[in-house]
Amino acid sequence: MTAHVDGPELSAYLDGALAPEPRARIVLHMSSCADCRAELDSLRHLKLALSSAPRKRMPADLALALERRFASGARPWYAPLTKPMIWAPAGALTVAVTAVSLWLRFAATLDEIPLEPLLAAHARYSAEALVHEDNLVASNYLDQLNDLPDASESEIQ
Amino acid sequence: MEPEAFADLLRQSGDKAYNFAYRLAGNEQDARDLVQEAFARALGHIGSYDPSRAFGSWLLRILHNIFLDGTRRLAHRRTVSLDAPAPVEDASWEDILPAKDMSAADELIRCESIDMIQLALERLPPHYKAAVVLCDVEGMSYDDIARIMKAPVGTIRSRIHQGRLLARKAYEELERSGGIRQ
Repeated sequence: MTAHVDGPELSAYLDGALAPEPRARIVLHMSSCADCRAELDSLRHLKLALSSAPRKRMPADLALALERRFASGARPWYAPLTKPMIWAPAGALTVAVTAVSLWLRFAATLDEIPLEPLLAAHARYSAEALVHEDNLVASNYLDQLNDLPDASESEIQ
Repeated sequence: MEPEAFADLLRQSGDKAYNFAYRLAGNEQDARDLVQEAFARALGHIGSYDPSRAFGSWLLRILHNIFLDGTRRLAHRRTVSLDAPAPVEDASWEDILPAKDMSAADELIRCESIDMIQLALERLPPHYKAAVVLCDVEGMSYDDIARIMKAPVGTIRSRIHQGRLLARKAYEELERSGGIRQ
């Protein structure tokens, strides 16, 4: 007698999942092997018991709830399933990393700017901007003010 | 997606998804949660759905992944391998494979309580349980099961057979210990 049928192959035979050649070989073997026939019977009974268990149907209220949630519109009904407790720390970390990197970059830029020319330019423009006190009296400019064209009412408004 | 299209998908796949979830989880509340999350994820990733495949199979695959994710979290706490045939205590493969006692298997078809079968299923490691449920309860082909479980057909064939042996062994143990009334 040839060796017993390999277990997974026996299950595949039971499920009709074997190609014709191995199936024929198993049929031939079982014609002379009571042990393999008994094992096949046992597996068949188990399969029958499992497949005859009553099928569970989706409860009507669950189906209705799923339909309502889907139809409820603007906010995706599966949104509550997203997990803010995961995204909140990730967002905070991203903001912190961005802030630190920006700060480091800004600090480096400050170090690179030469301050001396800026200070010299500031001093020069400050000196040039000085105006003598006499020049700040409006009556000294009456002639020039009188020569100005009258503004129209519309312009004033 | 239009609400009518969603209602169609629900009609086509809802019962199958719920039955699969119930057989995996073993209770109604967990089955409801599994189904709700499976539909949520399916619709959230509807863009990655291949319309040439059955929506139901795709949904079961998502549901199976959710179930495994939950099981993994538990497994980490208990340090149990998903593939380990541990639930049948003190059982070696030598004990399981030869099927020395046929009477318990014969008893299955005249079993007074379907709950015994469900209890036996619940004792299986997750991968074996899913393979057996998809094959024997849902009546799916090995190719479809391989797609749902993302495993080669040879692996599926092995899981189905070993899962059946473990279910048989679990049933025998339940019988010896007084069944569900223990």
